[in-house]
Amino acid sequence: MLTKFETKSNRVKGLTFHPKRPWILASLHSGVIQLWDYRMGTLIDRFDEHEGPVRGVHFHNSQPLFVSGGDDYKIKVWNYKTHRCLFTLLGHLDYIRTVQFHHENPWIVSASDDQTIRIWNWQSRTCISVLTGHNHYVMCASFHPKEDLVVSASLDQTVRVWDIGSLRKKTVSPADDLMRFTQMNSDLFGGVDAIVKYVLEGHDRGVNWASFHPTLPLIVSGADDRQVKLWRMNETKAWEVDTLRGHMNNVSSVMFHAKQDIIVSNSEDKSIRVWDATKRTGIQTFRREHDRFWILAVHPEINLLAAGHDNGMIVFKLERERPAFALSGDSLFYAKDRFLRYYEYSTQKDSQVIPIRRPGTPSLNQSPRTLSYSPTENAVLICSDLDGGSYELYIIPKDSVGRSDVVQDAKRGTGGSAVFIARNRFAVLEKSTSQVLVKNLKNEVVKKSSLPIPTDAIFYAGTGNLLCRSEDKVVIFDLQQRLVLGELQTPFVRYVVWSNDMESVALLSKHTIIIASKKLVLQCTLHETIRVKSGAWDDNGVFIYTTLNHIKYCLPNGDSGIIRTLDVPIYITKVSGNTIFCLDRDGKNRAITINATEYVFKLALLRKKYDHVMSMIRNSQLCGQAMIAYLQQKGFPEVALHFVEDERIRFNLALESGNISVAVASATQINDKDLWYRLGVEALRQGNSGIVEFAYQQTKNFERLSFLYLITGNLDKLSKLMKIAEVKNNVMGQFHNALYLGDVKERVKILENAGHLPLAYITASVHGLNDIAERLATELGDNVPSLPEGKTPSLLMPPSPVMCGGDWPLLRVMRGIFEGGLESAGRGGAVDEEEDVEGDWGEELDMVDVDGMENRDIEALLNEEENDEEGGWGVLDDLELPPELDTPKASANARTSVFVTPTQGMPVSQIWSQKSSLAAEQAAAGSFDTAMRLLHRQLGIKNFAPLKSMFLDLYSGSHSYLRALSSSPVVPLAIERGWSESSSPNVRGPPALVFDFSQLEEKLKSGYKATTSGKFTEALRLFLSILHTIPLVVVESRREVDEVKELVTLVKEYVLGLKMELKRRETKDDPVRQQELAAYFTHCNLQAPHLRLALLSAMGVCYKAKNLATAYNFAKRLLETNPVESQAKMARQVVQAAERNMTDETKLNYDFRNPFVICGSTYVPIYRGQKDISCPYCTARFVPGQEGNICTVCDLAVIGADASGLLCSPSQVR
Amino acid sequence: MASMGSGPDHLFNLRNNFYLGAFQAAINNSEIPNLSQEDIVERDCLVHRSYIALGSYQLVINEIDEASATPLQAVKLLAMYLSSPEFKESSISSLKEWLADPTVGNNATIRLIAGTIFMHEEDYNEALKHTHSGGTMDLHALNVQIFIKMHRSDYAEKQLRVMQQVDEDHTLTQLASAWWNLAVGGSKIQEAYLIFQDFSEKYPMTSLILNGKAVCCMHMGNFEEAETLLLEALNKDAKDPETLANLVVCSLHVGKSSSRYLSQLKLSHPDHVLVKRAASAEDNFERALQSFA
Repeated sequence: MLTKFETKSNRVKGLTFHPKRPWILASLHSGVIQLWDYRMGTLIDRFDEHEGPVRGVHFHNSQPLFVSGGDDYKIKVWNYKTHRCLFTLLGHLDYIRTVQFHHENPWIVSASDDQTIRIWNWQSRTCISVLTGHNHYVMCASFHPKEDLVVSASLDQTVRVWDIGSLRKKTVSPADDLMRFTQMNSDLFGGVDAIVKYVLEGHDRGVNWASFHPTLPLIVSGADDRQVKLWRMNETKAWEVDTLRGHMNNVSSVMFHAKQDIIVSNSEDKSIRVWDATKRTGIQTFRREHDRFWILAVHPEINLLAAGHDNGMIVFKLERERPAFALSGDSLFYAKDRFLRYYEYSTQKDSQVIPIRRPGTPSLNQSPRTLSYSPTENAVLICSDLDGGSYELYIIPKDSVGRSDVVQDAKRGTGGSAVFIARNRFAVLEKSTSQVLVKNLKNEVVKKSSLPIPTDAIFYAGTGNLLCRSEDKVVIFDLQQRLVLGELQTPFVRYVVWSNDMESVALLSKHTIIIASKKLVLQCTLHETIRVKSGAWDDNGVFIYTTLNHIKYCLPNGDSGIIRTLDVPIYITKVSGNTIFCLDRDGKNRAITINATEYVFKLALLRKKYDHVMSMIRNSQLCGQAMIAYLQQKGFPEVALHFVEDERIRFNLALESGNISVAVASATQINDKDLWYRLGVEALRQGNSGIVEFAYQQTKNFERLSFLYLITGNLDKLSKLMKIAEVKNNVMGQFHNALYLGDVKERVKILENAGHLPLAYITASVHGLNDIAERLATELGDNVPSLPEGKTPSLLMPPSPVMCGGDWPLLRVMRGIFEGGLESAGRGGAVDEEEDVEGDWGEELDMVDVDGMENRDIEALLNEEENDEEGGWGVLDDLELPPELDTPKASANARTSVFVTPTQGMPVSQIWSQKSSLAAEQAAAGSFDTAMRLLHRQLGIKNFAPLKSMFLDLYSGSHSYLRALSSSPVVPLAIERGWSESSSPNVRGPPALVFDFSQLEEKLKSGYKATTSGKFTEALRLFLSILHTIPLVVVESRREVDEVKELVTLVKEYVLGLKMELKRRETKDDPVRQQELAAYFTHCNLQAPHLRLALLSAMGVCYKAKNLATAYNFAKRLLETNPVESQAKMARQVVQAAERNMTDETKLNYDFRNPFVICGSTYVPIYRGQKDISCPYCTARFVPGQEGNICTVCDLAVIGADASGLLCSPSQVR
Repeated sequence: MASMGSGPDHLFNLRNNFYLGAFQAAINNSEIPNLSQEDIVERDCLVHRSYIALGSYQLVINEIDEASATPLQAVKLLAMYLSSPEFKESSISSLKEWLADPTVGNNATIRLIAGTIFMHEEDYNEALKHTHSGGTMDLHALNVQIFIKMHRSDYAEKQLRVMQQVDEDHTLTQLASAWWNLAVGGSKIQEAYLIFQDFSEKYPMTSLILNGKAVCCMHMGNFEEAETLLLEALNKDAKDPETLANLVVCSLHVGKSSSRYLSQLKLSHPDHVLVKRAASAEDNFERALQSFA
């Protein structure tokens, strides 16, 4: 039993859950009805109008109403919102035991000690039916959740089922009721509206409770005979099915669980019992020390129960609802029902993996509590409370999606908790001794280690580390070093969630979230008033968590906020972008899309990613006072400015961030004196005298304005101000300005006008304005003041300011950084990705232009052709060789005390050398002589010099180097070819070779490219290197062998052709030979585009040499090959020219009508029928005189030598 | 056999750093308080062996004087042996003297050094004479290595079993399993890879770990990934001979030029196996050519 909430009060006699809100009503023996919020644990309200005990109470399922019935014979209907009793239903003549609203009709059913059950219409506030028949107190009566039935229990030892179908049929309008009420009164003891359908007899004592099954035709009852009875009914009859014995005293209340197949009962024996409804056996018993139980209530929607006892009540659930789960990359393993299931986030695919419990085993609270998964071994560790804490280890079979229902024989053990701590190691907690056992996948103990603190649970904390939890702290313990890596005082930690990078950890307690580093250095603590349920880290280091009713976030600095509210609790498993993946209480995977804007924004602010902040401001509508307050509070008024529409707030924010221009705009909008004043102050602080002036002008603050003009040296405006002051009759202002201006005359005038003649006189005379002074003296007459003697007066002139007019150097305001961010954001957005321009293309074009050929299409065509070929070269197949023993059996006396050094084993390279008949493998094994012999025999190769580097590379590439112990010799390891996961150890595969066929294919492509672009030397080098590599290439299949052989002839043609072409370029002074070589080139077996180029070149050469007939031939051949238009045009011109004059100027050794091959050495045609001799390797043909020489095409083999043919695949040997 | 943990193992990190090739870290973090006398000797050995691994032979030779403990003298001997070819003979003869002395001849460190030196001499018989009886994880690991070099993986396996019985999770046990897995090849390569992978998750990356992973990748035919790993290792230590050697091999397989790495290796470690092998191969080629002439 998991107690969620407990109250202390007078005896609780009635309980009812609110169907939606986390509220429960408890009616007390003292007469008070309490409204509790069981989630927050607070008393919301109390209703105290009944006199004496209140035994029955019930919430309405949709309206803000509840009904109560008490020992004062009164049924009261209350509105809990207005906290008022709406009305009281009177009629019962004795204590009322239970009251209940109907689920859809406006009815209330009540049971009373007056031996009747009454049904009331609470809209008309009348009793619409009285059910009589019980002949003792009726202890309980309730409507059937769907059908027109009422079940009641009475101390007359019977349970009765009443049919109220006819009641429903009658209209329920108030008028009708009123009419019928009189009628009903008349047949009080023989009402036809409700008739007894069944009377269930079987209890030996009074029955206290009876209730319907929510869906099945079952009834359960509890009585003073200490028994719980299960009854079944059909259309016509009802009968007793079974009796559940176990309670030691009167059974107070009993009901079916809303979702599970169980019965819950409680009793005056101070216990609550849980029964299996199918097997009718007791599953669990919860006892209390002193409190007799009186009432039981089940929540209609969620898995909650409540029980009332002598000193209060408890709200509880029977079973944990959190599914055990473990996350691994993109996948989630979780336990649901009897199965381990697998969920893939990317595809949202959900599948069953293996059964983990046999069907029909008792299940209450023994379902998996935690799950730990080792991805490399595909092993799952499931912990449950079974047998006081135990674990089961399952290895998921490879072809895992097993539909089978056969439960794997798991490896088991007992222990508080068990987690994987490495790929193939898990730790099991032995609570009693505070030790952990480290076990391997065979469930064998590998190591024992005592823990540094008394530990009641262990969690994963990185490979080899454990997070140990005790009541008030957690420590991270390194099992290998036996060292405490970190320690933190915490409330009781329930769940531990590591961030994806394992750098931070969130420790979830009931009401607290603690974020700490991987060494348990506290980073922040969050307190929640509502229970914390689950959490996960997003990729940016934001911790997303759920409470019972919210999804919230926590930033690395401890700022938190609500993302959204929740109707039902969920368990977050993973956060990916703005999608939250979670499991709900039914064990279903759900993906919830959240609006992550707020926390992403705050995070960006926190990390000072202002460009990101700016782009978010531009693109999204995050706003609201909360955000503005947040920004202000965090010192980002300039950011907040972007969200605010209200001018006054804008003004405040602008001032705070020093953004004068925005402030001016806002101030102009509002035009409030106070704002102008504040603007002036800020502008003055920044030194923006223009704005200061503007602000002063707006507020008509002439004194400040005068002073401003004085210090900025703006004398014009100062004198203007003086005039304004004059107009306004502001003598003091006028005088000030005059003083500032140093205008003595004006001052005298002002003083005179103001009637201060003596002062005016003194001023005038001191400053030497004698005429005025005299005039004034005459006016003053006798009252001329005397001037002090012996002092030299001087005119006070204001100093001229350093800088006149304009602004002063401005104070730098903090928006600098932010503006910078803004700019860079702008730049970032403006830069578009540019496609890479194909560099090769232009270059090739240039090259060809030198040759005067246009080849745009050729390239394209060639590419196409090459692409077509690409699919043809498969990946090399595995080489299967018969297993052989490469190590002798261990000598028999190995165990004897005298140690005999074993003989050395055979190096792998020696094995290779013994097994292989392929030259490449021999070379890799280092047996160069054998390799050479093979090549000589197979291909007639005698000139090995070109192969030297390849031999060496093969040999070098055959071993890797492993550093074992430091300062000891390095271990060379033979690399084998064709490795696969299932290769057996100790069976030697053939050596890995550094050359493979695909590389040659690449080279061929480059060779073609070089040819197309006219880089003939480069092309020749490439083709030759292919020819030189082929003898040392190994392929797997027969088909590939044929491909290799084809490649030899293909490449040979190019080598021959290119050699002739290069020769042609050397023989510039011999036009005849030039033409001949160009002509022969066209007879090499080339790719169509290359052939066209060769023809074009031969045509050009011959045309220039005025051998028009021959040129005509080339032109014709060219036209046959579908050339591009430019080539065709040129060819047609040649044809036209030649047709006019079909002659040859010079005689060539070239007869295109007669088929021929070209001698690879002398470059002369060998016409059909003439004798020739060929190279055993590359198949180039030669005139007989060349026999015995090294082939000039491949530069390897001896012309005319005997050879058995290319051997390049183990498939040829088999 | 379950070994029961007692007090904290103060030298754990130092040892681990040393085994995994984080020599500088081993040296830097060697000031550990509250060490027993025995631990101090072991600590000094590890520190000096780290210096040797870094090539600072002279430092070790100078720092260890006559008064130092026997194991340290052995370490000094190794430094002498490795410092220059001219000291080889004298080192070996004094080593043999010590080994003959019953009072010190049984010391584990001396035996370990003896095994190492004779292994360099390719005298496996002599090496095993002193190391075969084991006694410490280091000695067993050395035995595994010797047997692998002798191409006797069956014997190596037996040594490995002993190590696993003593402490299966010991870093040396894990390392030795990886060596053995690599030596026998086939499906075992994956296990070796996982071991190095575990190390890389648990401890700071060293070029030894990266090389280990890379070698596994090469043996699994994944030369591209091996190359990436090796380049990472090269970033960590541009002179590490194994990194360079393996890069040479890797480059050959991915069809890139290996000459730069090879010349680098030739310059910095002229007596590396790969260099030697390449030189001998060249001679071998010429000789084979002669037979055709």
